[in-house]
Amino acid sequence: MPRRSERSRSLRKIKVNTPGGRRKIHLERKKNAPAKCAICKKPLAGRKKGRDSDIAKLSKTQKRPERPFGGFLCPSCMRTEIKKRLLKSFQ
Amino acid sequence: MFEVGRICMKTAGREAGRFCVIIGKDKEKGFVVVTGPKSVTKVRRRRCNLTHLEPTPFKIDIKENATDEEILEIFEKENIYEKLHIERISEIRKERHEKREEKIEKKEEKVAEIKEEIEEEKERKVKEHKEEKPKKMKKKEEGKTKHSAKKGEKKEKTKEK
Repeated sequence: MPRRSERSRSLRKIKVNTPGGRRKIHLERKKNAPAKCAICKKPLAGRKKGRDSDIAKLSKTQKRPERPFGGFLCPSCMRTEIKKRLLKSFQ
Repeated sequence: MFEVGRICMKTAGREAGRFCVIIGKDKEKGFVVVTGPKSVTKVRRRRCNLTHLEPTPFKIDIKENATDEEILEIFEKENIYEKLHIERISEIRKERHEKREEKIEKKEEKVAEIKEEIEEEKERKVKEHKEEKPKKMKKKEEGKTKHSAKKGEKKEKTKEK
């Protein structure tokens, strides 16, 4: 009978070739879902996928793009947002 | 719309959301040369795509390829800082620098106070030690005298031999 942890699908299975020539199955935690734009819900580029503990080890520049609202809004939504604010300031 | 002297806002990249002034045309079509100036809005002197600029109703009278210093003079004359609600980066940095220096001064003062306290305590301890010492010394001296006396006797004996 398989181990209890192997019976659930909460862990993902990875096939690994061992140096002895055998092929074994390793169990790993699943990655987080990709980050999405807060307005249009598109998946964002420039933000790495992975577990929280892995992302915490990355440098600041690898976590989000270096622009206002970077890692929160997609570039097209950011552009419309800035134009809106500019118009409001002159009204 | 995009002529020399027009004040625009950048809408793409790391400088998005910051004001800049158009200085002249670039060799390539659809591009212009732009500055903040850097000491005011942090936008560097560089070429920029027209699709990445949003024009404002403000315009200043400058020559083509004007220097940053000339533009700064006109900004102060026409009160553009108040019109566009711009906070100068150079002044913000000065304030930050002053705050940091104040913090460092306060720390140094605290350290000096603590050092003085420690020295005072040391002096006090030394004084107390000196007051206590003479009583102990007397006992020791007595002991020493006995010991030295014995030794002296021994020496004398050796000499006699």
